[in-house]
Amino acid sequence: VVEVLYFAKSAEITGLRSETISVPQEIKALQLWKEIETRHPGLADVRNQIIFAVRQEYVELGDQLLLLQPGDEIAVIPPISGG
Amino acid sequence: MLSLEISSSCFNQETKLLAFEPSRKDMDEVEEKSKEVINVTTEKLPVDEVLQLVISPLCGAVSLFVGTTRNNFEGRKVISLEYEAYLPMAENEVKKICTVFHGLGLVPPSEASIISAVSSAHRAASLEAVSYAIDTLKAKLPIWQKEIYEESSSWKGNRVLWGIQQ
Repeated sequence: VVEVLYFAKSAEITGLRSETISVPQEIKALQLWKEIETRHPGLADVRNQIIFAVRQEYVELGDQLLLLQPGDEIAVIPPISGG
Repeated sequence: MLSLEISSSCFNQETKLLAFEPSRKDMDEVEEKSKEVINVTTEKLPVDEVLQLVISPLCGAVSLFVGTTRNNFEGRKVISLEYEAYLPMAENEVKKICTVFHGLGLVPPSEASIISAVSSAHRAASLEAVSYAIDTLKAKLPIWQKEIYEESSSWKGNRVLWGIQQ
């Protein structure tokens, strides 16, 4: 069970700031995204713009294998614009 | 969710500040500084306070960058910017670099949205460092700004995040 955090456009689409979801401990980044998109089909619109931050490290939505621990934080990161 | 009702009360809303300081400055001889995380205030970003945080008798130069809200974008009137942040990660990213204050919530035109400051023994290093700092912060910090127009709003986004194409 991990915590997914939503920001900016992704928070508007899902209507959520965060939620907990249940996923396998070993999962590819893209598979994790698909899990999330299944729950929130509106996120398909931004799929090509999203990056994850897994335990506060940026991870692309690709084949990278994530090793998740219970309670890990996964942030959905749309294109940033600080400063 | 963003409320589309723009009224003068928006500009009285508390502006939250994000204050990051390095626990060690990467300069000739350093001083330990205590770290403040979040400061909530109705006032504008405190340039004086930022200066006091970085000024040191060991340093002969302080360089400051202040980013302010513009009131227009591509011909549209911008009522305000609105910032949100992934706080714990932003804090971790920034504290390696320099002293930064960043606005959260609404930042109306002419107000500062970001102040970054670097001090050094001599001016070349601090000028270069503050330029590097702001470039790096903009490329890396998990912070988002939304431009609020009269009739609509738009999330801004840099599609290259720390070398990753989005």
